[in-house]
Amino acid sequence: MKNTTLAFLFVSPALLFLLAILGWPLVQAVILSFQDVGVIGSQGQYVGLANYSAILGGAGFWRALGRSIVWVLGNAVVQTALALATALILNQKFPGVRIARTWVILTWIVPTVVVVIIWRWLLSSSGGMINPLLIQAGIIERPVGFFATRESAMTTLILINSWRWFPFTALMMLAGLTRIPGDLYEAARIDGAGTFQRFKRITWPLLQPTLLVLGVVGTLLSFNVFDVIWLLTAGGPSGATQTLPVLIYDTAFKGYRLSEAATISVLTSILLMGFAFLATRAMTAQEAAR
Amino acid sequence: MKRTFGQALSLYGGLLLIVLLIGLPFWWVITGSIKLPREIIQRVPTMFPESFTLQHFEKLLQASDFPVYLINSMIVASFSTAFTVLLALPAAYAFFRMEFPGRNALYRTILLAYAFPGVVVLIPLYGLFAKVGLIDSPVALVLVNVAFALPFSIWMMRSFLATVPREIEEAAVVDGAPPTTILVRILMPLIAPGIASVAIFAFISSWTEYLFASVLIVSDARRTIPVGFAGIIGQYQIDWGLLLAGATAAIIPVVALFALVGRWFVSGLTDGAVK
Amino acid sequence: MGTTRLLTIAGFAATLLTGTAYAAPVDLTLWHMEQPPHRVQRMKELLDEFNAAHPDIQVKQEPQSWGEVYAKAPAAFAAGNGPDLLFTIPDFTTVLKGIDAVVPVDDLVKDLDAKHGFVPATLAPYKYDDHVWAVPAYNMAISLWYRNSVLKAAGVEVPKTWSEWLAAAEKLSTDGKYGIGLPANKQLYTDQTVYSFMVNSGAADIYKDDGSIDFDKPATVNAYDFYSKLAKLSPADNGSWTWGEAEACFASNTCGMILQFGVINTYDTQAEGDAADLGVAPVPHADDQGESATISYSNAIMLTTKDEAKQAAAKVFLAWLMEPANYGRFLTMEPGLFLPVTGDGAKAESFWSDKTVTKYKGQVETMISNSQHGKLFGFTTGKVFPSIGAISAQNVIAETLQHIVVDGQSAADAVKGGQARMSEIAKK
Repeated sequence: MKNTTLAFLFVSPALLFLLAILGWPLVQAVILSFQDVGVIGSQGQYVGLANYSAILGGAGFWRALGRSIVWVLGNAVVQTALALATALILNQKFPGVRIARTWVILTWIVPTVVVVIIWRWLLSSSGGMINPLLIQAGIIERPVGFFATRESAMTTLILINSWRWFPFTALMMLAGLTRIPGDLYEAARIDGAGTFQRFKRITWPLLQPTLLVLGVVGTLLSFNVFDVIWLLTAGGPSGATQTLPVLIYDTAFKGYRLSEAATISVLTSILLMGFAFLATRAMTAQEAAR
Repeated sequence: MKRTFGQALSLYGGLLLIVLLIGLPFWWVITGSIKLPREIIQRVPTMFPESFTLQHFEKLLQASDFPVYLINSMIVASFSTAFTVLLALPAAYAFFRMEFPGRNALYRTILLAYAFPGVVVLIPLYGLFAKVGLIDSPVALVLVNVAFALPFSIWMMRSFLATVPREIEEAAVVDGAPPTTILVRILMPLIAPGIASVAIFAFISSWTEYLFASVLIVSDARRTIPVGFAGIIGQYQIDWGLLLAGATAAIIPVVALFALVGRWFVSGLTDGAVK
Repeated sequence: MGTTRLLTIAGFAATLLTGTAYAAPVDLTLWHMEQPPHRVQRMKELLDEFNAAHPDIQVKQEPQSWGEVYAKAPAAFAAGNGPDLLFTIPDFTTVLKGIDAVVPVDDLVKDLDAKHGFVPATLAPYKYDDHVWAVPAYNMAISLWYRNSVLKAAGVEVPKTWSEWLAAAEKLSTDGKYGIGLPANKQLYTDQTVYSFMVNSGAADIYKDDGSIDFDKPATVNAYDFYSKLAKLSPADNGSWTWGEAEACFASNTCGMILQFGVINTYDTQAEGDAADLGVAPVPHADDQGESATISYSNAIMLTTKDEAKQAAAKVFLAWLMEPANYGRFLTMEPGLFLPVTGDGAKAESFWSDKTVTKYKGQVETMISNSQHGKLFGFTTGKVFPSIGAISAQNVIAETLQHIVVDGQSAADAVKGGQARMSEIAKK
């Protein structure tokens, strides 16, 4: 049918493009995972599933997966809370709301490398502003090292990454909020529902589709965050922030075991694809139900 | 619609917190860039600069090619934006309105593009680009940036199309207009703010990209802002003044740009199209 | 400018006269990791001068960063678009040698050695498997930095042994100040500072002659134990320190002492800049050791092209660079940090006439003398094993320290774990 041909003409440029730039390299990664290539550029032998059994049998992969889950959940909680609060505020009417809506995004338009340097400086004990501020506020007594212990390093990284991303998430949520018809709120108000009741009965359920997509894409995006972690802690202290992407980079470029890195990549991708598949199916199911 | 005192307090209190959370770090960085070196690393830092100097900016401009990085970033980001929009619009329309086998499966597959750690594709992609002579070329960066911005752009574009009332399209169909005409003549003007949002998303994604730009670009004259900035961090020494000046210089242009087009990003997202 | 143009014209004329055989000059691409703007600038001046004097050779620089070059260089060589000359440190050479990207430079080094006299310690880490794999370019060695006035005010002498060092650091730790700034990051800087403790407790070798790991021994445990004790007197954010943070801590007078390759430039531009007050000494040694040693990084330049015309041209360039008249200016691209690797270089007028070097002459002399006792992990026995590349790149030495300061393990347990980790890497 003519329309089908046209539809394929519409879709195929984007699809073929993605296939060439992302799909082809991925096939290469799969091939690598069945070999024993060390340094990039050296030759390897076919070793079958040896890499897979070594990695699934070792502790390194599972530990990094655990940290990745902590990382994703931490980011999800912090970002959702901050972003939702921000979106709800920006959805109000107040003088200067347009300016606030535009400039809230400031942290997201700054290159990651710059974000990293900003925080490295602010958190340092020489010239950094955060330690003196906390001391003045009476929260701490003497300067602390934000990357000194396992827990604080992970927490600090999550906060920095969330600082960069929450405004973007907030605007996406705001977009969802503005699509909720105003008369629904009016009706609820006439029914005598309070602020919290209105949030629970209208805002929250109607925001679900937006939250779901943001949840899926946000999970995938934050799972794959590499540069912030690498440039701030390189996976330390003592491996506490070595998430899967960091482990992949470490294995490939620091341990010179390219094939092992490819294997971890393939496993990671399978996990993420499984997650994305289930989640997007839930998404389309929900859309169909409406 | 009057607010109670409590509502007003939480609104403006929350607003103040957001302003501080986002604004303070930038204030510190920008004021830091005009402090004398000794004041920057002082043990008890100053909230307002007590010294004034432009020496860090002089050093930045004198010895590094920041203006060149800036132009490179602009070129790469502009082309990435144009291609992203050109590819995303028809695809989003097809996914939204047209019937074809495997539509839903394909739509889902596209979002799967984010399931791969960027690190994974880095090395094979390097090999691929080397074969076709695209190493050290801005074209390579455009290709990568488009690939990473495309899936989300398609999703955004599709949700903007969904805000257009069906009747408007149906009227055109009755008039016998082909899909291409409907898309270009009718839908595009209607979702123009949405297209602006997608464009800005693509632009910023490309503007901030670091990993690929750092490996695919070899010569100094083709570096983008993030890589050029990383270059002044230095291995054995850190010149905080220079870095703060560099950070400020990396922030200012995109802020200026955003001052011009920023409101489109938000209005595109919130107004989307005709309600 | 006039001569430059004249030379260019002369070269151009020569090209025309000799016809097609010399039609195009040999183009050389040089990758170095001296990315800070002023170093790139100095490099450019030198290259312009060389290119003008050698119309048949054109060298161009492409500055890279250490952070990325470990991934970028192998990928570039694999794809066939790597550089012709590449700056290196010893462990990086082992990696590139592993993929057959490095060409030996035995003859050139022999000639240059006869002419200028290499400091043996700078050549040693590149001399193995019957060849010399790179031409040493500059040396860096860690020293102990302090302020004379601060030590005097606290009533302490410059420490020579570890017990004196600990006592001094404790005395210098007063309200809001730290006696010493030592890093505890999983990063190269920590590798370097920890190893400078190890060489001072008699634990310099980490390999046995047969290639097995020789890390877990009392001297190593002793070094780690003492390091973690001193690290407690450092600022709490030392877990994210690189070289810059340590320098800033010292420059702002927050840290009483630090271990660093050089602080002169920072001290001169961001702190008092009082040459008489800046003190530098060898890293103190364990009480049971006779004298101080240190870690030294001999930075070198590798030849990484298979093209013979390019190899010949590259040798001309390297020989030119090592000429004392040029070499001093090369070293002072970062005055007070890069030390000469040749006897001639140590005497070169072009080095000592630099403004900063002149001002801090005494300190630079001490740095040079410290660097004579420099060693580098994995390159101490005259035999080099390929796994040192991965051990070094993965910062196993620093990681071992983190098991003590972050996870609270005892030094003995952590070192045992480090031995296991290194052995596992060596096995692959």
